[in-house]
Amino acid sequence: MRPERVDRLATVIVLSLAGIVGMVVFSLLIYILAMGIPHINWHFLTAEAESFSAGGGIRDQLFNSLYLVVLTLIVSVPLALCAAIYLSEYAPANRWTQGLRLAIEVLSSLPSVVVGLFGYLVFVLQFGFDFSLLAGALALTILNLPILTRSCEDALRQVPYLQRQAGLGLGMSKWRVTTKIVLPAALPGIITGTILSAGRIFGEAAALIYTAGQSSPAINYADWNPFSPTSFLNPLRPAETLAVHIWKVNSEGLVPDARAVSNGSAAVLIITILLFNLIARYAGHRIKQHLTK
Amino acid sequence: MQTKTALETKNLQVLYGEKHVAHDINLKFPQNQITALIGASGSGKSTVLRSLNRMNDDFATVKGEINFHGVNINQPKVNVYRVRQQIGMVFQQPTPFPMSIYENVIYGLRLTGEKDRRVLDQRVEESLRQAALWDEVRDQLKASALALSGGQQQRLCIARTLAVRPEIILMDEPTSALDPVSTSQIEDTLVQLKKHLTIIMVTHNMQQASRSADWTAFMHQGHLIEFDKTDTIFMNPHEQKTADYLSGKFG
Ligand SMILES: Nc1ncnc2c1ncn2[C@@H]1O[C@H](COP(=O)(O)OP(=O)(O)OP(=O)(O)O)[C@@H](O)[C@H]1O
Ligand SMILES: [Mg+2]
Repeated sequence: MRPERVDRLATVIVLSLAGIVGMVVFSLLIYILAMGIPHINWHFLTAEAESFSAGGGIRDQLFNSLYLVVLTLIVSVPLALCAAIYLSEYAPANRWTQGLRLAIEVLSSLPSVVVGLFGYLVFVLQFGFDFSLLAGALALTILNLPILTRSCEDALRQVPYLQRQAGLGLGMSKWRVTTKIVLPAALPGIITGTILSAGRIFGEAAALIYTAGQSSPAINYADWNPFSPTSFLNPLRPAETLAVHIWKVNSEGLVPDARAVSNGSAAVLIITILLFNLIARYAGHRIKQHLTK
Repeated sequence: MQTKTALETKNLQVLYGEKHVAHDINLKFPQNQITALIGASGSGKSTVLRSLNRMNDDFATVKGEINFHGVNINQPKVNVYRVRQQIGMVFQQPTPFPMSIYENVIYGLRLTGEKDRRVLDQRVEESLRQAALWDEVRDQLKASALALSGGQQQRLCIARTLAVRPEIILMDEPTSALDPVSTSQIEDTLVQLKKHLTIIMVTHNMQQASRSADWTAFMHQGHLIEFDKTDTIFMNPHEQKTADYLSGKFG
């Protein structure tokens, strides 16, 4: 065949495969949104969930999901960033580093159910955190760390080697080069990676069922003392998240409008993750602009 | 005429692991002069240059002495950060930091803890003038350095190195990424600069070496073959290898 024909054929094949993937993803997205959006209204978003009667909302579940993401990021971002800095700036190319990378790789392919059960055994029972936001956040941290570490490391590696050399050439110490030159330049990538990982853990259910728990005791949004048992900020209270709620309503829900509640919740979940992604792009873009202005 | 020596190497050897890439380099770099390091690709020019301010510490073993003001700076106990402030470096590619022109220039100065606005302002102007960039950027000091052209960026990097007032500047093919106009601007700048400091420059551009360098060192396969006044090297070299290289027989 002539090169042009091969080229045209290859293009057609690649495009149609991409088209199939795009179709599947889009139709799923549209299906979920179409099924769910009709059930979303102000009441749905701001009312408590009902156990037996129809008309319950998802206020607490939505809040729990967001709060859990925040707690998880508070734990995982510093850890991931330190690990990434070590790997990209300091780690020598030897066995130990290879082993570390392998461990991270393995950790990232751990099924979330396994992470959930590990969290149940270690955080809930061993450490005595009970079913709590804290136990959930730690389980999500395990889930989040490998991917976040990788994306932070990638962001750091993207900074040209010469920038580091230039810093060293000016008499800066390695640590200073890392914090003053490499880190700021990598910031857009790090922030984008963090927000994207937030979207990923926002939809997590399996790791949370036995760690953050499946119940939502009454919480008081006026109580800002994180140590008070009924405070919405208390990290030691059990907290059902949106994704767990969907799973629970579908599997053992007693409410007559279970379908509507789960469809609506799914749509809210998808929309929120979509928002995370949009924010990630926007934030990364803005910071980059700011740096090069 | 015997000029003072700014920097001297004695039996300098550099190894990357087991690979010996610089053997017994003995050089005396004259003060307030431009010295060019020439030689074929892979002959070890960059390796030697980068050893002079200990930029090779992380990947190579550097043996021998590097004497600067009577002190051998190739010793573990010597403060490398101080050394690099005294012996600055300019790279092949411009390396502006993603910040304003002003901030770029005073970056090294900030490291020394200087905060006085007047000192900083004054040093920015002085360094940019020395690097022959002042007239082009005086009205946009707050603009991003990344918006400058390649040649301007390279002169900015020279200004940034000058701002900490080093005694020696090492340059590794500083103009190889630039167009002829920017190149000749930088060459003019270097000739002006040698009033204040000593310049050691790696170059592949023979015209550049003969135009701007006072002294030239020719390296071949990790050995220093010949070191002399530039005129001597180019007009009547003592070594056959030098003559062969300059006439294009290899390299
Ligand atoms: N980081 C390194 N690790 C191992 N070997 C290296 C390293 N850097 C350079 N070398 C080797 O050392 C030798 C000298 O390299 P060097 O970069 O000093 O040459 P050069 O004269 O500057 O060449 P060029 O003109 O191409 O820049 C080469 O054989 C090169 O492969
Ligand atoms: Mg080189």
